[in-house]
Order: sequence, then C-alpha cells, then structure tokens
Amino acid sequence: MENEKNKFEKFHDKNYKKLLLIPALLLVLSLVYLGIFYVNNGDFIYKDISLTGGTSVTVFEKLDIVSLENDLSNKLEDVHIREIYDIVTKEQKAVIIDTRSDGDFTKQVLEEYLGYKLNSENSSFEFTGSALSESFYRQLLFAILVAFIFMAIVVFIIFRTFIPSLAVIIAAITDILMTLALVNLLGFKMSSAGIVALLMLIGYSVDTDILLTTRILKRSEGALNSRIFGAFKTGITMTLTSLLAISVALFVVRSFSVILTQIFTILVIGLFFDLLNTWITNVSILKWYVRAKK
Amino acid sequence: MKKLTWKIWLLLIVLILSLLSIFGFPPAFFQKGVLVTGVSSDSVAFEGGLRQGQIIVGIDNQDVDDIESYSKILEGKYLSGEKVKLILQTTDEEFIIFSDKMPDMIVSEIPKTNVKMGLDLAGGSRALVQAEDKELTSEEVNELAEVIENRLNVYGISDMNVLPISDLSGNHYVRIEIAGATPDDLEKLVSEQGKFEAKIGNETVFIGGADQGVTSVVRSGQQSGIESCQESPEGGHYCNFRFAIFLSEEAAQKHADVTNALGIDPSNPQYLSEKLDLYLDDALVDSLSISKDLQGRATTQISISGSGKGETSDEAYEDAKVEMNQLQTVLITGSLPYKLEIVKLDTISPVLGEEFTRFLLIASLAALLVVIIIIFIRYRSIKATLALMVTSFSEIIIILGVASFIGWNLDLPSIAGILATIGTGIDDLIVVIDEARQKTILSLKQRLKRAFSIILGAYFTTLVSLLPLMWAGAGLLKGFAITTIIGITIGVFITRPAFVDMIKKIEE
Repeated sequence: MENEKNKFEKFHDKNYKKLLLIPALLLVLSLVYLGIFYVNNGDFIYKDISLTGGTSVTVFEKLDIVSLENDLSNKLEDVHIREIYDIVTKEQKAVIIDTRSDGDFTKQVLEEYLGYKLNSENSSFEFTGSALSESFYRQLLFAILVAFIFMAIVVFIIFRTFIPSLAVIIAAITDILMTLALVNLLGFKMSSAGIVALLMLIGYSVDTDILLTTRILKRSEGALNSRIFGAFKTGITMTLTSLLAISVALFVVRSFSVILTQIFTILVIGLFFDLLNTWITNVSILKWYVRAKK
Repeated sequence: MKKLTWKIWLLLIVLILSLLSIFGFPPAFFQKGVLVTGVSSDSVAFEGGLRQGQIIVGIDNQDVDDIESYSKILEGKYLSGEKVKLILQTTDEEFIIFSDKMPDMIVSEIPKTNVKMGLDLAGGSRALVQAEDKELTSEEVNELAEVIENRLNVYGISDMNVLPISDLSGNHYVRIEIAGATPDDLEKLVSEQGKFEAKIGNETVFIGGADQGVTSVVRSGQQSGIESCQESPEGGHYCNFRFAIFLSEEAAQKHADVTNALGIDPSNPQYLSEKLDLYLDDALVDSLSISKDLQGRATTQISISGSGKGETSDEAYEDAKVEMNQLQTVLITGSLPYKLEIVKLDTISPVLGEEFTRFLLIASLAALLVVIIIIFIRYRSIKATLALMVTSFSEIIIILGVASFIGWNLDLPSIAGILATIGTGIDDLIVVIDEARQKTILSLKQRLKRAFSIILGAYFTTLVSLLPLMWAGAGLLKGFAITTIIGITIGVFITRPAFVDMIKKIEE
C-alpha cells in the first residue's frame, strides 16, 4: 500500500503538468461543440417551454403516449409528451403534454380530442407567454453571470493570491461548460429548473476546490503531496456521497417530477465533471504554482 | 455524562422552537373539528358572523370531530325545506343561524402542521399580469394590485395573495395567487378591464364603479337572480339572469337630460326612439328599451339582465351564475385602470399533490440512507454517523420551522433548496470529521477551528452566488434562493458548530 502510494506520488510528480492536457482537451472539445451548437441553433441550449413560452398540461388519465403524440402533433405546435407513473407498480398516472401553443387553444384542442371538459379535478395547466419566457431566460443567464462574478470576488478575498483563486474559478467555469456540452449532446431540453441546477453546481463545485486550496496553501505541516492526498481523501468522500445520494434520489423522482429529474440529472453530470476538474485541473495548477514559488 | 456545550444547547433550543412553530402549541393534531376555509360574503353564515379561519367543534351541541361527522350532522337537517335553527360552536364562540338550506361555506380538515405547501404542490392558481402596451411605474402597479385584489374580494375569493412585483429587467407585474380550487373564469376576472358603460346614442349616462355613478348593486333577494332557463333553438340551453342596480343622483339626472331630447319610436310608440345600451369593454352586452313614461325622469333604479349558456340546463344555470357574479363584480369595483394581458397562468390541480409529497419523502429517505451507509463504511463509527444524521435531520426541521414561522409557502423550487442545503451540509460535516481525525501535532480544538474556516469559505461563495436569483425571473425561483440561504445560514451558525462539538466529545 505504502509502496503503491509512493509509486503514484512519483508518477504524479513527473506527470502532473501533462495530466492537465486531459481537462484541457475536453474543454476545447466542449467549447468547439458549444460553438457549433450555437451557430446551428442560435442559442447555447435547447430550451423547453418554460424558457420559450407555451403550455404544459397534465391530464390525469391513462393514455398511450405514442399515439397521443401522433394525433396531437399536427394540431398543436411542437408537441412533446411524457408520462407520470407509480414507482412501485409502474402504473401510468398521468400524461404531460408540452406545446408551444397558447393555453386557451391547447385546452380547446385537448377537450375536443378527449371528449370531455378539463378542470382542476382532472388536469393542471401551466401557460407562460413567450415574451415573459424570453425575459426570464435572459435574466437567468444574467443571474448566473452575476453569481459567478460574486463567487469569484469571494474566492479572491478568501485566498488573496491570484493564481490559486483563478484556479478555483477556472475549475468552476470548466465544470459548467462541460456539463452544458454533455447536456446538449444528450439532447436535453433545458428548463428554468435546469438553469437553477447550474447555479447549484457552482456551489457544489467550489466546495471541494476551497477545501483543496485551503489545505494546500494555508497549512504548513506535511509535504505538499501528503496535503494534496489528505484533501483528496476528504473531497472524494464529499463528492461521491453527493453523487450517490443524488443518483438514488434521481431514480425515484424520475417517476413523478420532471423538474426534479432535470435538476438531479444536471447535478449528477456536473459532479462527475467536478471530480475531474478538482482533482486534475485544480490540483495540477496548484501544485505547479507551489513548486514554481519555491 | 459529559456536560453539553452551549452550542449543543443552542441547537436543542432552536430545534424545540422549530417543532413548536411547525406543529403549533398545543399541537394541531390533538385539535378536533373542521376548519372554515371559505364563507361567501353574501351568505347567511357570513351575516351570522362566521369567518374564514374559525374552527367548528360542534353543531347543535353534538361534537364535530372531522369532515365526516360535520356533513353527517348537517345532511339530515335541511330535508324539509323549511327554515330551521342551526347552532354552530367554534373554539371560542357560538353562532346561531336560521336558514332553509345548508350554510354556504367551505370547510376542510384542520391541517396537522403549520407547514404550508406552495401552489405547485398543494394545488391552486397563479396568474402574472402586465399592462398591455404601457410601462407602469411601481406606484401604478401597487394601485393596480389593489384594484385587482378588491375585485377578487367582491367576487367572493378570500384565500388569495395579490402582489406587485418587479424583476431584474425592470418589468413590473402583478402576481395573483389563489389557493385551493380555481375559480371559473379566473382569466376574465384578472385580465378583463371591465369598463362598463351605459349609453343612450353616443351619450354616456353612467359607468361602472361604486364611486362612478352606480351606488349599489343588488346581489340577493327578490331583485337579483336567475329568472328562467330554456332550450335554445340552435341547440343547448340558456338561462337569463336579472339584477337591479341603483344610480347616483348625478347619473339619474343625466338620464333625465338625455332622454328629454329623444323622440318616440315610430314603429313602437310605447318606447323612446333610442335604447339604453350597456357595454362591457366596448362590446354590447344588453340593450334596454326605454318606456316613454321614463322620458325626462331622474331614474335611480335600473334592471340589468344577461344570460349564460351551456350544453345542459344545469351547465347553463352555472354559467349564468358566473356571468352574473362577474358583471356585478365589475359594476361594484369599476374598471381596471389599464388594459391587461396575462403573461403567465397556471392552474394546478390538488389531486397529485399528496402523492407527490409521499414520493418526495421516499426519495429523500433513500438518499439519506445512502449517505448514512457511505459515512458508516468510511469512518466506521456509529457515534459519528449518528451525530451526522441528527445534524442533518435538525437542519431539515429547522428550515421547516423557519418556513412556517415566516409563513413561507414551500413550492418545488423551495424543496430543491432544502435538498441543496442538505447536500452542502453533509459536505461540511465530512470536512469536520476528516479534520478532527487528521494526524498532526495541533490540538483537536485547533484542527476543528481550521475545519470551520473551510466551511465558512464555502458558505460565503454559495451565499453570494444565490443572491441574484432573489430578483431574477419575476420571483418565481425565489423559493430556491430563500430556502437555501435560510438553510445554509442555519447550518453554518447553528447546526454545524453543534456538530463540531459533538465530534469533539466523540473523538476525545
């Protein structure tokens, strides 16, 4: 065990700068992909109706979602249908119909299709106007930007050294960019809740980076490598615990909540990239900085 | 037994206060009876003194334990159709009502806790309205919110919340939230301007609104109600309603002046040549012929009529009732100062809410179980694992306690916020355990102090990154920011310091 640890230390001492190539390569790939995505779609993400405007109807009825989607797609704009089911019996409880069409029109079409009136006992309606959604989207992007700036300021105040603080911020930005790229690659439609998840990700991601930087810069006992290793042991426990807990919760919420499913999925992806960005990106930059200072 | 430190005492005290805030004192689950959630303002029960929020514990000296016994006692009482005496005992008063039908009020089970669920979990409706083609100042929006609230009140909705709000882009909205069942025609109520005008020819005789010419509107008794229902020749049914309104002296004089100038209708000599046309938002709703006897007279009472329609006679009746109430509401409250547009309208059914809460509990318990297993495997200490569980649970209870204390409604974003708090909380607790167990020459106390500097750093970064969300997006995601900020603040200043002391005792 001790021997292997030494071997790894030697390997890391020799190669830690080269290791930076992995996240760098992934970051470049993500940026290129996001760039192409932006050119093709005119935006950084696929937006769902909470960000484009439209109607989401939940009808408490067992319906075949494939045929429903076929039947409605020529009447309503941009129809997308999901289901809610009981996690134990797998029995369908309701269908959720998302469309770009407005509330009144959607209601009319659905009532015609189903043959009965929709009221608050058999359905839920959520309508958002497109102007509101657009302003909503712009403000959320602005909120993320401001959050980042605030976070960066606090990080600088805590560590008061330029490169280590920058490393924390780079790790957080890289996290978000890689997560965005993967989310797009998977074809996910982002909702306002998804953007909230990105905000949560900033918090989670910075936690481990602060732990690492504090242990390395503000502590004097032990060699650099053993301080890194100590931080790694704590940090990996933190991230893995969150990752596993959220994955299990994700499995349950998938059956009933679209919003929570999206938040948790983005967190799982983000935490995964956080492992990479804290323990390769941030560690390597810090090690480089500490060694160079000597 | 080692003495408890003041930090642990503080945690215990806050925990007890939170439990009191959640369950009330004495706890609500021992309270028998039913809660009055709505009384229409023109009902006999309302006149008798019953109000929303009262708890009915007895009827005619029989105990009311729950909804079932409430309806059982009332059911048999009004079969005869005659006026009978009804004694309602609430927790601190007694009301006596004489009526020939069931009291017109909505009751529900007494909620077991003070924790209130938001619309997206408990059901209800929410509308966000904005002035069409006009930028309102914040003063104008405040005024608008008042007018809308008044209108909903007059319509008979009581459990609601009307708020002027603005967002980061400087847009102003009025947000209307109504708990429970969605009223029919909410859309019309909040967005229709409701400009009521009575015209003869091109002359306006009077307009709607209590201070604008209509002094009162009759809403019950002989002069108000649904008159007749008929099958319509085009299929379906329709019902006619009619109610009386009283005009101010000024409006009555105007009526006299305008009619004075009119001639007699040549094809129908009983009536004057022009009719009294009633417009709602520039659309003609009714046209009344004016009897020639009324020429030049200051008429203070006018009868207004209209109709509702539906597939069946029952539907038509309900529609007519809604239409009548709406027209009366507009006549009393007057028109809204601006043309409005609904930019968001959600009507959420309460049906799935309960199940949703159940699933949410399953999800949280499953996640917590995973955390406990990992922590136990990693640290091999039952005491530390227990301490971590206690701390995490305390955080949830205290967040719920604070939420019930400040009357915050927990919506889905708030739930996500609680989850975020627990997540960062466990991260912090892991830092504490790890620092405590580090092999260094420093004392345990110093090591734990250092753990806390990491926790504080993480706290401030999370805190500031949440601040913009308090204002972005018309406040719809505010719940996430608020619960997370409450949660991590409680965590950093109360529960996590107590955890540090617990670990101190365990590791010593």
